[in-house]
Formats: sequence, structure tokens, C-alpha cells
Amino acid sequence: MTATAPSYPTVAPIEPPALLLDGITKTYRSKAGAVDALRGVTYQFARGSFTAVMGPSGSGKSTLLQCAAGLDQPTNGTVVLNGAPLGGLSEVELTKLRRAEMGFVFQAYNLLPSLTVYDNVALPLRLTGRRPSRSDVHRVLEQVGLEGKAKRRPAELSGGQQQRVAIARALITKPSVFFADEPTGALDSGTSRQILGLLREATDRAGQTVVMVTHDPVAAAYAERVLFLSDGLLAGHLDRATPAQIAASMSDLER
Amino acid sequence: MFYLSRQTVSRHRSLYAGSFVALAVGVFLLGLAATATAATIAYKGPASSIISVMTLGGDGAEPRRMNVPMSGEDVSGLQVVLSMVGTISGFITIFVIASTFAFAVASRRRELGLLRLVGATPRRVRRMVLGEALVVAVAASLTGAVLAQLATPLLLRKASYSELAPVKLEPAAPWIPLAIAVAAGLLVAMLGARSAARRAGRVGPIDALRESALEGSRIGPVRIIFGLLFMAGAITMLTLIRPATGDGAVPLAMFAPMVMVIGLTLLAPLIVPLVGRLWALPLVAWTRVSGRLARSNVVAAPRRTASLAAPILAISAIAGSIVLSLSIAADTAGAQIRDAVKAPIVVTGGADVSRFPGVETVDAGLPLQLVRIDRDDAQLEDAEGIDPVMATRTRDLVALSGDLRGLTGNTVAVSKEMSGFENYRVGDEVPVTFLDRTSVKLRVVAIVKDAFGVNPSLLLPLDLVRAHAPKAVPDRQFVVPAANVDPAPLVTRLPNAQLATRWEADQADGVRKGNQLGLILLLGPAGFYSAIAIANTLLMGSLQRRREFVTSRLLGATPAQIRRMVLWESSLVGAVALSLGTAITITVGVLIRHAMTAGLIDVPLTVPWGVLLGIAGLCLILAIGSALAPTAYILRRSEPSAAVD
Ligand SMILES: Nc1ncnc2c1ncn2[C@@H]1O[C@H](COP(=O)(O)OP(=O)(O)OP(=O)(O)O)[C@@H](O)[C@H]1O
Ligand SMILES: [Mg+2]
Repeated sequence: MTATAPSYPTVAPIEPPALLLDGITKTYRSKAGAVDALRGVTYQFARGSFTAVMGPSGSGKSTLLQCAAGLDQPTNGTVVLNGAPLGGLSEVELTKLRRAEMGFVFQAYNLLPSLTVYDNVALPLRLTGRRPSRSDVHRVLEQVGLEGKAKRRPAELSGGQQQRVAIARALITKPSVFFADEPTGALDSGTSRQILGLLREATDRAGQTVVMVTHDPVAAAYAERVLFLSDGLLAGHLDRATPAQIAASMSDLER
Repeated sequence: MFYLSRQTVSRHRSLYAGSFVALAVGVFLLGLAATATAATIAYKGPASSIISVMTLGGDGAEPRRMNVPMSGEDVSGLQVVLSMVGTISGFITIFVIASTFAFAVASRRRELGLLRLVGATPRRVRRMVLGEALVVAVAASLTGAVLAQLATPLLLRKASYSELAPVKLEPAAPWIPLAIAVAAGLLVAMLGARSAARRAGRVGPIDALRESALEGSRIGPVRIIFGLLFMAGAITMLTLIRPATGDGAVPLAMFAPMVMVIGLTLLAPLIVPLVGRLWALPLVAWTRVSGRLARSNVVAAPRRTASLAAPILAISAIAGSIVLSLSIAADTAGAQIRDAVKAPIVVTGGADVSRFPGVETVDAGLPLQLVRIDRDDAQLEDAEGIDPVMATRTRDLVALSGDLRGLTGNTVAVSKEMSGFENYRVGDEVPVTFLDRTSVKLRVVAIVKDAFGVNPSLLLPLDLVRAHAPKAVPDRQFVVPAANVDPAPLVTRLPNAQLATRWEADQADGVRKGNQLGLILLLGPAGFYSAIAIANTLLMGSLQRRREFVTSRLLGATPAQIRRMVLWESSLVGAVALSLGTAITITVGVLIRHAMTAGLIDVPLTVPWGVLLGIAGLCLILAIGSALAPTAYILRRSEPSAAVD
């Protein structure tokens, strides 16, 4: 075999964005009337990006996050995760997708109070039917700085520690997208820095994508890009901005 | 996944302890009814007092030999009561267990949402809830069975030589009855858990994120349709089945409210807020905040309220209906006896009064018992030997078809009720065996009007009775005085004589007294169980709210304010449940009275207010007490700072 195959220039496959929102609207209907929480949001979150979403209270940030994560159905528009639209999926398929591809961190830590730290972190793996390896669990616990606290229960931890358990729980399945809704909302600045550092690390080291809703310009400054949401619509963005720049834009929006 | 269940069971100890207690007590009662029934089945009367006959067979039924006990010394009365006790206990158990599990799921909405959020599929959540229910059910059923086994000898000692079973009962082998009780307990628990699990499976991951852990009051059209169908079914049942006597009314007064309770429970998310709002009107007007808070807690969470109200609704509806219906039955019996007796004087016992001056007609019927045989059964029946000439003068004894004058030789007149049940027509032959063991065929000569409490279902010629029961004496005689003799003074001269009006009143009282024993036996265990269930659910309800109470303390509510809120809230829950229970009781009462008094005029109406109000009061006191006690405990034990965890 001496003949050499002709070499063609390899075309880089066009990698789909980690998350694509296309014309998302969301209208809540209740007895009190209809609320248009989202009024047409289109955006691509690139793989490995860290994006912050900011906006005045009630502008639809949490709604956007919930629709993007398939926790809630958008009224119109499609959500595409890693090239696969969420639209037609059944609840079970969505659940399986969610536990394989998504991680969640919320302001309320949402830990199961009856389980130990170890069991809380291992829970997503157990739910997939896998037996979590002890070393995996201890590795993520170490990663978030909670080595030695595995046997405690959530009530015996500080707020920052509980939030780190929540992050460890999100990390253990190696999700491709992290959704965080005000993850530092209840924490002091020092603890916030640790948490944000963990999210940053996830994008930098593991190529995971982070979408984080926040009110705090300092937190938003950890992201490469800050999206501004106002009245259910995207109202612009800032790249690699300082907290001061972000704060200025926010006060513009709120005016 | 089991480790998760284990952990949650220990965390929600109060929820599971509640389910455990409810089921264990239910299985205990069922088990007790089953072992006692086994003892009655195992009971063999003395051989000398048994008549052995062959049933007729035909129409698919093979002729078979039956041993009919000759005296009242049998256990069938106890068996009937036990089967009813078992039915009521079983129903209330199903009901309480289903609502307890539903309540447990509603209280854990957020936690279940969280599981869904971190990747549990709906199926998994369902299975988890079922798994937990199974653990609780196995433990509770076994406990209940053991307790039943321990209590059986006590019960049998009490039941032996009683009115219902005038014999000595010995415990029988417990395995089969207890296995039945345990299986029933497991089945009930799993059925109850199934709907709770299905609802748990519908909890979405988003429910972990929303602050309110409330479930909406929207219910599907299927549920509404079923609810209405159950209500309609119960009402149809009441209008179609027309009980004539108390014995017929009791099963109806037991089943109809059960069906209605199910119907109302299905409709509860629609009805509870309405009734709750209504009862809250005075509360909101009288109190400053606590009444308002109580209203919103009751109205905004109709499913939770319905779960709390369930045992009160069930027992108040069933007990109320049975108590009221039995009272109506006694009233009706009084009117029936009144209408059936034409003679103005009744003599108790067999003293011969025909020769007293002023006496014209004496109707001295002779009571006897005989075994009536039909295709697939043979039964001991009460009958009376009468002289049709006398009896038609003293009683309202009218032949609806046939002719009473033909009542001579081997003949019989049959009451309309029995002819309806057994399909007897004039000219038919009824095979019977007398207690002297001679068998004859009696030709039906007439179908006569029912006269409950006065005439038995079978009337025989006097001579035939004398021939087969030579020792029979009348236990009452109807006496008509001569044309111009005033009955009042005559009564004083005759031995053991009473004016008929007095005798009739005594008979009605006797019916009422007889009912009382049945009521206590029937409602005692159910009431006991319901009391535990009511206390149980409300206790659970309050224990689950520790965090809410503590948060309210943090917001500046004084312990007294919180206690008042809980007081009003539990009163509201109780009031809602009792209103619905009352509605059911009234519906059953009105329909049963309508059916029973058809064709009678001037039937008095005795409403046993004391008992009914007593049931309502007990339910309320239990509900309020068991909601307040844990609240006070929680408030005493926790500082406001405990809210921040
Ligand atoms: N379940 C719901 N039912 C009805 N309306 C809702 C619901 N959830 C949110 N809304 C409304 O939708 C709008 C957007 O809400 P959303 O929670 O997304 O705001 P947000 O930007 O996250 O606000 P915040 O910064 O205060 O958290 C608001 O007007 C809110 O009242
Ligand atoms: Mg929000």
C-alpha cells in the first residue's frame, strides 16, 4: 500500500450552538388576566460560553430560563438543545434529556433535607440508574470545597455551603448546559465569588455552557457576555464588561 | 430508590405515622370482624336442635341437604352485624387511607418537584410513592392483624350469650380470617396510594421552583361526571329500593351515604371552597386577621381541606344517616302497628279472656316457628295460627288476592312482602317442615296486606298450628268489647290488658330500644376508628406546618394569633365537612322516609337531635383539639429564628 490517498481540506463540521432560542414567547394566563412574560426572544448560546441575563424585576428572566431548560413550555417558538428541539418531547424524554444534559442551581438551594450531602450529590446519578462511584462523588465535593462534609445534612450547613452542594449535584452528571437563577442571591460577596468561580471554571475547563440570571453587576461581570432583558424582550448586550459598565446599563434600562 | 423512600419516611414521620395508625386500626377492626365471623362459622349448635331438610332444587340449583337450627340459639344475628361492621370499617379505612396518602403527597409537592428537577421521571416518582405506601402498609397490616388476634378472645367472651348470639363462642383458627384482613389492608392501602401516586407523578419540576406548594382546584370533566354519577346512583338506589322495615333500611342507610360520600369527595375541589367561603363569612366579620387567614388557607387549598375533612365527612354522613333512618324506621313501625290493629284492647300472654263479661271477640293467634323450604335455601320462619273470622275483625287483615275464608287444612296466607320476594301466587304450594319434624305442603289461599310488627309473613289455620305445636300459647290477644261496652274500664278488669294505643306505643318503643343495641354495635367500632382518623389527619396537618408557623412568628404574629388562626381553620374544616355530612343525612332521611311511609298517613317524625348533635359536636371537638394541640406544642418548642434554615 504505497499509494497515498488524495488529501482534501477537511471542512470543520458546523457545530450547533449549545442552546438555541427561536422566537420564544410566554404568556401566563390566570384568573387575574394574561401576562406576556416573554414577547419574542431569539438567541444562540455558543458552546462553552458563560452568559449572564440581567433585567429589571419582572422582566421575564426566570421565565426565560425555565423555558430554555424545558421546565416550562413556551407559548410560541422553539428551544433547541445541542441540535435537538425540545418541542415534541414527552415528559419522560424531557426528564432524561434534562438529567443527562442540564444542571440547575437556584437561589433557594433546593436540596433534599432528608438526605446527606453525599446522597444529595449522588442522587442524579442514582436516578439515571447508575451506581455512583464513591470517588466521583468525593471528587466533585472536593472540587466545590466540601471535602469532609459528606455525612452532614443540609440543615447543618451554611447557605454558601448548601449552594456548593447544589453545584456539586449539578456537576456530577457533567451536563453540557448549566442553568443558574440568582445562584448568589442569598450569599455574601466572598461566598458569591467562590460560587461564580466554580461556574467560570466549568466553562473554561470543561467546555460547559452556563446561563445565569442575576441582579448583581459584580456577578454578571464573571460572564463573557451580559444579555439585558426588558419587558420580555432582549434589550441589548455587553461583552467582557466591568461591573461599573454593567451597573450603568442596568440603571439605563430601569429608567 | 428504596434508600430515598427510607430517608423520606423517616423525615415525614408524622405523615407516615398517621397513615400507619389509620391502616393498623382499620386492619385491626377488619381482622376482629373476620376472626369473630370465623368463630360463628365454626360454631356447631347441639345436634338435637337441628332440623335437616332437602332444598327443592331446580332452575340450576341442585337439591341439597341443609341443617337448620331449630331454636333462636344460632349466630346469624351476630354474623349480620359483623358483616356490616366489616363493611363500614372497610369503607372508612379505604376512605381515610386514600385521603391520608393524598394529603402526604400534597404536603410533599415541593420535594417531589425537586426530585423531578434533578432527573426523576414521573414513573419513578410514582413508584417511589407506591413503594413507601407498601412499606407502611405491610407494617401496619401485620400490626393490625396481631392486635386483632390478641383481642379476639375478649370480643368472643363479650359476644357469647348475648342477644345476638345466645351461645358460647370459641376462637377458631385465625389464619384465614387474618390473612383476609391483611390482604384487605394491603389492597386498600395500595388502592389509596395509587391515586396519590398518580397525582405525585403529575408534579412537575417547576413545582420545586414556585413558592406556593398549592395545588389548584381545577378538576377534570371525567371526575366531575363520576362525582355526579355517584350522587345520582345513591339517589336512584334510595328511590328504587323501598325498604318497609328497619332491617331493610339499615343496609340502605349504610350504602347510600357511602356512595354519596365518594361522590362528594370527587366533587370536593369544587364544593369545598364554596361551602368554606360561606362559613367564613361570619368569621371574617368577627375577627381581625385570624379569620381571614383561616379562610384563605381553607379555600385556597381545597384538596388539602378535603383530605382533612374526609374522615369527618364519612363518619358524620354514615352515622347520621343510620341514626336518622333507624328512628324513621321506628316511627314507621309505630304507624304500621297502629294501622294494623283495629281492636281497642290488647291482652299480653295466653290467659283466656273470652268468658269475661263485655268481651265480644277474642283473636288469640298462636305463634310458631317452621322451616320454609325453597329452591336453594331453607329457613326458620315465624308464623301464626289464626282464626280468620276473628282475626279479620280485630286486625287490618285484608286479602289482596285469594280468599281468607279458605284458610283451613294444609293452607297458608302469605304477606305481600314475602310473596314479592319469593314469587308466591295464590294456589302455589309452599313446602314446610314443622318443628315436630313433619313435612307438609301448604297451599297458598291468600296474599294479605303487610302488617309489620303485628302479623308474621306466614298465617296458618289455627287447627294446623295446634296439631303441630300443641304447647303453643298466644303471646298477645286482640280483644274487641261488646257493642256498648267502654274499653277503658274493661281493660282494668281483664288480666294483663292494655288499651291498644298504649300497647302500640310500647311496641314502637321496643323497636327503638332494639335498634339502640344494633346502633352501638354498628357505629361503635366505626366511630372509634373515625375518631382516631379525625385526630390523626388534623394532627398530621398541623405538624406539617411547623415552618409556616415559625415564619409567621418571625413576621410578628403572636403565638395566640397563630393559635386562633388554627382554631378558626380547623373549625372551618369541621364546619365544611359537617355541612356536607348533614346534606347527605338529610337526603337519605327524606328519601327513606318517603319510601317507608308510602301508603301510611299521619306518621310521626322523631328526629334524634341529641344523638345527631352529639356526633357533630364530637367531630368538631376532636378536629379542633387535634389541630390545636400540636400547634401549641410547636409554638412552645420553637423560636422564630428556626424559620431561617
Ligand atoms: N406562574 C406565573 N403565573 C402568572 N404570572 C407569572 C408566573 N410566573 C411569572 N409570572 C409573571 O411573568 C412576569 C415575568 O416573571 P419572571 O419571574 O420571569 O420575572 P424575573 O425577571 O425573573 O423577575 P425577578 O427578577 O423579580 O425574579 C412577571 O410579570 C410575573 O408576574
Ligand atoms: Mg426571577
